[in-house]
Amino acid sequence: MAVATHGGEQWFRTCDVTGFKVDTRAERIAKVNAVMAVVSFLIAVIAALLLVLTRWQIVHLLPVDWYYRVLTLHGLDALVFWIIFFELAALVFGSTAFLNTRMSSPFVGWAGTALAILGFLLVNYTILTGNADVLMTSYAPLKAHPLFYLGMILFAVGALLIVSTFFANLMIWRRENPGQSLPLFVYGLMAAAIIAVITIVSGAIIYIPTFLWSLGIIKDIDPAVYKLVWWGLGHPSQQINVSAHVAVWYLLAFLTVGGQSINEKVSRFAFILYIVAINVASAHHLLVDPAVSPVWKVWNTSYVMYLAVFASMIHAFAVPSAIEVAQRKRGYTKGLFEWLKRAPWGNPAFSGLMLSMIIFGFIGGITGVVNGMEQTNIIAHNTLSVPGHFKGAVVGGTALAFMSVTYYLIPLLFRKKIAFYGLAKYVPWIFGTGVAILAVSMYILGAFGIPRRHWDITFSGGPFTFTYNPVTDFFWALFGIGGILAVVGALLWILQVVVSVFFGQPFRGPQDLQIPIAEPVQMDGEHKGFAAPGTFVLVLLFIVAFVIFVALNYGWLSAMWEVR
Amino acid sequence: MSEEKKVPFLQLVFDDFILLLFLGVAVYAVSYLIWGLIEIAWTPPIPDEIKQALLGR
Amino acid sequence: MAILPPREGWFHQKVARDEKIWMGLAFVVSLFLFFWMIVWHVYAKQNPSFVTYKTTPEEFYELTQAFIDKYRIGEENGIPVVKPPPGSDVFLLARQFRWEPVLVLKKGEEYRFHISSLDVLHGFSLQPVNMNFMVYPKYDYVLTFRPTSAGEYYIVCNEFCGIGHHMMVGKIIVEE
Repeated sequence: MAVATHGGEQWFRTCDVTGFKVDTRAERIAKVNAVMAVVSFLIAVIAALLLVLTRWQIVHLLPVDWYYRVLTLHGLDALVFWIIFFELAALVFGSTAFLNTRMSSPFVGWAGTALAILGFLLVNYTILTGNADVLMTSYAPLKAHPLFYLGMILFAVGALLIVSTFFANLMIWRRENPGQSLPLFVYGLMAAAIIAVITIVSGAIIYIPTFLWSLGIIKDIDPAVYKLVWWGLGHPSQQINVSAHVAVWYLLAFLTVGGQSINEKVSRFAFILYIVAINVASAHHLLVDPAVSPVWKVWNTSYVMYLAVFASMIHAFAVPSAIEVAQRKRGYTKGLFEWLKRAPWGNPAFSGLMLSMIIFGFIGGITGVVNGMEQTNIIAHNTLSVPGHFKGAVVGGTALAFMSVTYYLIPLLFRKKIAFYGLAKYVPWIFGTGVAILAVSMYILGAFGIPRRHWDITFSGGPFTFTYNPVTDFFWALFGIGGILAVVGALLWILQVVVSVFFGQPFRGPQDLQIPIAEPVQMDGEHKGFAAPGTFVLVLLFIVAFVIFVALNYGWLSAMWEVR
Repeated sequence: MSEEKKVPFLQLVFDDFILLLFLGVAVYAVSYLIWGLIEIAWTPPIPDEIKQALLGR
Repeated sequence: MAILPPREGWFHQKVARDEKIWMGLAFVVSLFLFFWMIVWHVYAKQNPSFVTYKTTPEEFYELTQAFIDKYRIGEENGIPVVKPPPGSDVFLLARQFRWEPVLVLKKGEEYRFHISSLDVLHGFSLQPVNMNFMVYPKYDYVLTFRPTSAGEYYIVCNEFCGIGHHMMVGKIIVEE
């Protein structure tokens, strides 16, 4: 690695592929966080396999205590540690390399990283030793060992420190580049960072008193207050993902086909809508709860009149249209869809990007709105439909987007060649197909009333028993197949990353680049008429599916018992 | 290096990440958190007539 | 360009016609979804309730026992069976790991359910109709149900409440 003395500051190197000035101190922090992300992901994936093989009743692998233990482990490693570590890496790297600026405070960055890792270790340790069988949500008055809450607090503080260096880096950049606007990718990261602040502060507000309660210093935690504030952590932490993975979509559209948002103002406006409106959707988890009123529920669950859904639909046009316009400029102009047919499908980052968008929109997005509407939540709440939804949103959407962009990070951040590159083009398909099957089958099982977080739906040992519709046997089989397929895809990816990063051949320069980076396409002036007719047809298809699905669910709800 | 160019007000809003941070936190804090906590705090007790009907006192 | 600052004048660029139409459509759908929930509250029959009371586990336990004593008609698997008159207040208690009592209701009649927990959070999942509500300790959630079909129904606990969570099943019988 050639360390250039660019600008007289010896900690910079100049990237020989992108020409970016990279602060090597920031780069090291990003690397450690990225490695922690992959470690968390590995734990989450192994746990996922055990869970699939337990809930699939014909296998029913784990005993009851270990089922809930592994479920707690899976929830926290998948939904908190894997993605937040990855996002911390992205924040540090994105706010330095992409802005040609320096790391404001490597010390704070390292301190944050150390605290976050310590928190990660404490939480995983308390869970595995059976001291925190409280599931991810740890709803009080269920009580875990104090070290569990302490671990969560340390992780939150560590993450907050790194997020604060992100904003400090941005301020340095603004001082050095007055009057400039952020690149769109960093702008999306900025939205994610703001949501992260809200998430982490909510987490601190609730975990600190809960920690004191577990020590016996505070006598009582109100269950309604706990659940309200906890979801200020639980839901926005997943909205960091949405913002970050949409930012990654724009980045991947650029790297894989040279596509650029056809209107930066529109794309940025959508990110602002996320910042303002997306966090209140924590209310999704309180729709059929006592204490808060339907007025509060309807206002908050709708992201203040569905502004965040509106924003996602804006991105749903902006990202594919960026791809379409770039492809059309390349000469793929025949008909509505030649641009799509002639796209670089052999590039794992491109196929991953497309699958991520389709699974997030059609599975995660649509089911999310239905689950999150006040009344239809009655037929979805705490059934398997809920994890079915977020498998589509977070696993199919976020995880797949992060996995795809990693194929660029291995050479550009870790400076290693990608191991078994021939395998890479299959990984997004195996993982994506598996997750799609898993998410859809879980959603359908939930529609039959099957609960989430349940060890034995034959209710052995209970005073009564109840048998679910036998049709569910078929969907349980699909669930098993989809789950195993997704685990195989994830493990292949982890294998590639670990072998590349720790045992891989060094990346010596552009000649070693295995994954192609597309030539940027020149964007000229205004668009006349329809800029992206193919995308327009696709999004119309989406909205029809969306409206039909909402209507079906309300129709079904109207056949239930009456309740008010 | 600073040319006198008029930057639209809204573009300044778009670019001001500190203002956006404030907006994001404020909307969440008021609309979700504070409003929600107030509703929880204002939950009334079980009315006496319901209790009397069952307990006879 | 996603990785470089936008070009000069990005803020003034006109929105392409298809993007503009799409944004209009998406915004209308968004507003529609919001007002739909309000309209459903006014005109339709399945809505989460406005009523919650504050209580204590002791108070709620006492009320449930009084309710059981008043309307008790028998016992099934160690759990009292209770037949309250239509239109009355019904008390349903959740605790690790059972629902009390078993309720006998009449189809087409309204009952004002009071649901609360003695210990931790539980989930009220009525099967096979598939209606789901949360149950908290210290809060009495009041839900006015009108069963529209007769038969045997089960209450599955669908919020994790401890190691015996999977055994927690209750029962409601709806008579013609």
